[in-house]
Amino acid sequence: MKQLLYKEYKLCLVPMVPLFYLFALMLLIPSYPYQVAAFFTCNSIFYLLKQASLNGDTLYSAMLPVSKAEVVKARVRFVVIVQMIMFLLMIPMILLNHKLYPGGNPAGVDGCVTLLAFVLMVFTVFNAICLPGFYREESKIDKLFLFSVIGVFGWIILSESFMIAAGAARQAVPLFAWVESHLDCYPATDGVWIAQLIALAIGALIYGVGTVLTVRRAVRNFEQVDL
Amino acid sequence: MALLDVRELEKRYPTFTLDKVSFSLEPGYIMGFIGRNGAGKTTTMKAMLNLIHRDGGQVYINGRSFFENERACKEEIGFVMGEFDCYKNATLQKITDVTRRFYPDWDEQAYESYLSRFALEEGKKIKELSAGMRVKYALALALSHNAKLLILDEPTSGLDPVSRDDLLDVFRSVIEDGSRSILFSTHIISDLEKCADYITYIKGGKVLSSTDVISFREGYRLVSGDREHLEVRRPKLIGCKEHAFGFTGLIRAQDAGAFAACKIAPADLESIMIYTEQEDGHETASL
Repeated sequence: MKQLLYKEYKLCLVPMVPLFYLFALMLLIPSYPYQVAAFFTCNSIFYLLKQASLNGDTLYSAMLPVSKAEVVKARVRFVVIVQMIMFLLMIPMILLNHKLYPGGNPAGVDGCVTLLAFVLMVFTVFNAICLPGFYREESKIDKLFLFSVIGVFGWIILSESFMIAAGAARQAVPLFAWVESHLDCYPATDGVWIAQLIALAIGALIYGVGTVLTVRRAVRNFEQVDL
Repeated sequence: MALLDVRELEKRYPTFTLDKVSFSLEPGYIMGFIGRNGAGKTTTMKAMLNLIHRDGGQVYINGRSFFENERACKEEIGFVMGEFDCYKNATLQKITDVTRRFYPDWDEQAYESYLSRFALEEGKKIKELSAGMRVKYALALALSHNAKLLILDEPTSGLDPVSRDDLLDVFRSVIEDGSRSILFSTHIISDLEKCADYITYIKGGKVLSSTDVISFREGYRLVSGDREHLEVRRPKLIGCKEHAFGFTGLIRAQDAGAFAACKIAPADLESIMIYTEQEDGHETASL
């Protein structure tokens, strides 16, 4: 596995992956749906997969002394590393965001722990659509990316709309009032911290389970592929 | 014990079936894998290495099931599928740096000697190499990790005659200690004449013959004669070519008696392949 990860780093990593980490700076934009920053990491992973496909990486990897399953697991692990780096980069950006805009984000979820949970959902949706499909027919990576974009933006629009609606209707709906005061704000009290950490734990659980299921489907697909 | 034992390997496509392909190769020998384009040579090799999903059959490397011990078996195999065609913008140095990490028995000295022998420069990118040089690079990688078994799909195509001859010398030196073997497919039958000990001949997804080269050749005869000798003997001809003065054809050695009136000569591998491909329906080619 270590060798396969080294291969990913040396032969598959495209400049867009580190370059697109700069999109973490989008969290410094006032009034913006901040989950979009995470989408750009997914975009860079698309470029990585596309370039791997053009480079004949799958055949090269399958000819190495590893199983097909290990090829898939290493790729998914590398994708998770790429995503986790973005996840970690967003933490100082959230702190800066709060310093710059203490009033919150009227365009969606505030820069807070809940945003990190939402970012994990963005990654889960992208991985679930793009990676198993890539290992079924890598030549259709462009189409897969289109479906991933639809899936990711579907989630972003839904979740951000919910947060905006919660802010607007907090006087009328008690649940929205709780969401607004516990999930869509910078955590200042223990109660808010707990609520947001639970949200993050749920996001992490979904991301973890989603990744395991993604690997299983991708391995199953790749076992059937004729290279 | 056979170094390579392929048993009833099957792969079904809508328009082609690899039909229970079986053959084996002992250590210390070179086996030529021959057949027309589309006969199933590459499909067999890929199915053997799990690169395509097989529908049945088993492959044993040194007595171990390949599919149950994929990693360990692959460490003992050097596989070349024509020219190295991956990562065209990467240098040889970078690709080798990654590849060598997968093989515990990587032999840096051997690798450097092959680079030198094949006149490969590590600083060059794949896209800067000619097709022949890419084949040589693939071979250098395959030969540098002390593989017990080399599986080479058309390794000599794209090489000039001098390089081909040099490569055949490399093949002979690889197997001379008696512990390693080479299976290689080729359309250049003269290469097999020079170095193969065994021949496996595949046609339409089925193995027609898998035996040593001498027995394979001894099983056939080339005959030539006048036209009047042809008609009554046509059913015994595997294939034939008619020309203005008569015919030339291939027969099985046991049928030689029926052609006593004709000129009979030993058959070469290329003729056996050419005439055998005409066998269905005894079609003839007129010159």
